[in-house]
Amino acid sequence: MYYPEPISKLIDSFTKLPGIGPKTAVRLAFFVLNMKEDDVLDFAKALVNAKRELTHCSVCGHITDQDPCQICSDHTRDDALICVVQDPKDVIAMEKMREFNGRYHVLHGAISPMDGIGPEDINVPDLIKRLKDDKVEELILATNPNVEGEATAMYISRLVKPSGIKITRIAHGLPMGGDLEYADEVTLSKALEGRREL
Amino acid sequence: MYIEHITLTHYRNYPSLTLEFDPKVNVIIGENAQGKTNLMEAIYVLAFTKSYRTSKDKELVMWDESYAKIEGTVFKRNYHIPMEMQFQSKGKTAKLNHLEQKRLSHYIGALNVVMFAPEDLNLVKGSPQVRRRFIDMEIGQVKPVYIYHLGQYQKILKQRNHLLKDLQRRKTTDITMLEVLTDQLITHASEILIRRFLFLDLLLKWARPIHQGITQNKETLTIDYDTSIEVEKTAPIETIKQIYQETFKHNQQKEIDRGTTLYGPHRDDLIFYVNGRNVQTFGSQGQQRTTALSLKLAEIELIKNEVGEYPVLLLDDVLSELDRHRQSHLLNTIKDKVQTFVTTTSVNDIEHQTIQTATIFHVDNGQVICEERREH
Ligand SMILES: Nc1ncnc2c1ncn2[C@@H]1O[C@H](COP(=O)(O)OP(=O)(O)O)[C@@H](O)[C@H]1O
Ligand SMILES: [Mg+2]
Ligand SMILES: [Zn+2]
Repeated sequence: MYYPEPISKLIDSFTKLPGIGPKTAVRLAFFVLNMKEDDVLDFAKALVNAKRELTHCSVCGHITDQDPCQICSDHTRDDALICVVQDPKDVIAMEKMREFNGRYHVLHGAISPMDGIGPEDINVPDLIKRLKDDKVEELILATNPNVEGEATAMYISRLVKPSGIKITRIAHGLPMGGDLEYADEVTLSKALEGRREL
Repeated sequence: MYIEHITLTHYRNYPSLTLEFDPKVNVIIGENAQGKTNLMEAIYVLAFTKSYRTSKDKELVMWDESYAKIEGTVFKRNYHIPMEMQFQSKGKTAKLNHLEQKRLSHYIGALNVVMFAPEDLNLVKGSPQVRRRFIDMEIGQVKPVYIYHLGQYQKILKQRNHLLKDLQRRKTTDITMLEVLTDQLITHASEILIRRFLFLDLLLKWARPIHQGITQNKETLTIDYDTSIEVEKTAPIETIKQIYQETFKHNQQKEIDRGTTLYGPHRDDLIFYVNGRNVQTFGSQGQQRTTALSLKLAEIELIKNEVGEYPVLLLDDVLSELDRHRQSHLLNTIKDKVQTFVTTTSVNDIEHQTIQTATIFHVDNGQVICEERREH
């Protein structure tokens, strides 16, 4: 099938998004052609701004448009609790259920020797630094319940243990081998209640 | 249990095919390269989600087509259970009762299949992988949680081997991570080992009398599980874990030097003895075949005992490989109780009452014709 170049490029861009195959990309591209010009401009701006104006919080690593992020600069939150997650999406999932009032630390990945990802590659050194000068009493390890997430949790636990900080792992209610972002809010809040000490 | 019907779409050399099966014996006749094995393979894939002939799912899809589908209904405990496997470039999906199953361990086991192909006559003589695959498949379909442990074990093993390579080449010096992966590996290694011990004990219980029957009480079969660690077969799981811990701790440097994991279920093997002598090294071809046959027949009884129903039996090109005596032993075992699929190039190769009353299918280049049932 031949498409004029601007459409081909648009189709190509849509295929880069997760979950979008060639057929859907074509449909979306043609949908965009029929949108009002203002809407298309807003859409394009939103895409660019999301990328340009967002950075990673220098304290916790969460995505933010201010540094430190809103969560880190919120004085009503409990400094004694840090919840360690793999991905910014996990912070958003936890925040949605509004039951956790501590701080976060976003690793941006999990340790995986196979993929050449070691502890230094995923924000672990920053976490260790944070634990030194903070009033942290408990670390909740909410990495994904798959092989790499488990290994990362066990690794952090071994590093932190000598400091005497209490370490717990989100354990129950999560589908084994599943990713945290797929867990619904009910299972997630159960998981938080049932955390076990490592 | 038995398969009531099967529908293939773009599967190997079958563009589109629906067959109703006989609850007892189905004989599939055809020249070479017409699609007999493909049909058996389709049933196997419906049960296990993957082929025994290839690890590349893509090969199951008919050339120049984009997907392959196998649908079937299984009659089991008075229910008609629809099952479906579909393969496409993006991956495969498994459906049970029309619902997609995300985890293999929720799917495998719905249809129990025992396969006996010429390769299986190699069970005794072949490489350790052949024997490990045999126990893994058989335990997996009776105890689905075993598949979960096996899957986790393989993932961790891959990570651990990568880390050991990195340590060997001094790309990292992080022993803490090695300890973490060792702990993870041990958790699943112990679950696998304890289930293998239990399974082999059961298997031998069924296989020994069958083996004695075939050999007219002249031979006694024994199975030994050869582990990479020193452990009693009756040890509780805590002891197994502890022994693994000590073994890994003791051999840490050795594993780093070699850059790979040297202990664990992936290094274990089975050894078969007849009258106290190792069949693999000292047995005649006949003794090796009898052993393989006894194990397969034992599996049928074991599954019946564990699951409550007989599995489906697939005999691909194997009857003609067995002598009359072993043939009739096999056919007497399945008689009237096990749904069986037999392939052959000619029925004349097989003389037995079971076959004479079977439903016959003729395969010709991806087309199948069911022969009208002969009146007796
Ligand atoms: N993916 C495929 N697409 C089309 N034909 C295939 C595919 N894979 C195998 N075949 C064909 O299937 C035939 C082999 O069928 P098989 O069942 O092994 O034969 P047999 O009847 O001897 O057991 C061959 O003719 C081969 O070319
Ligand atoms: Mg064949
Ligand atoms: Zn922050």
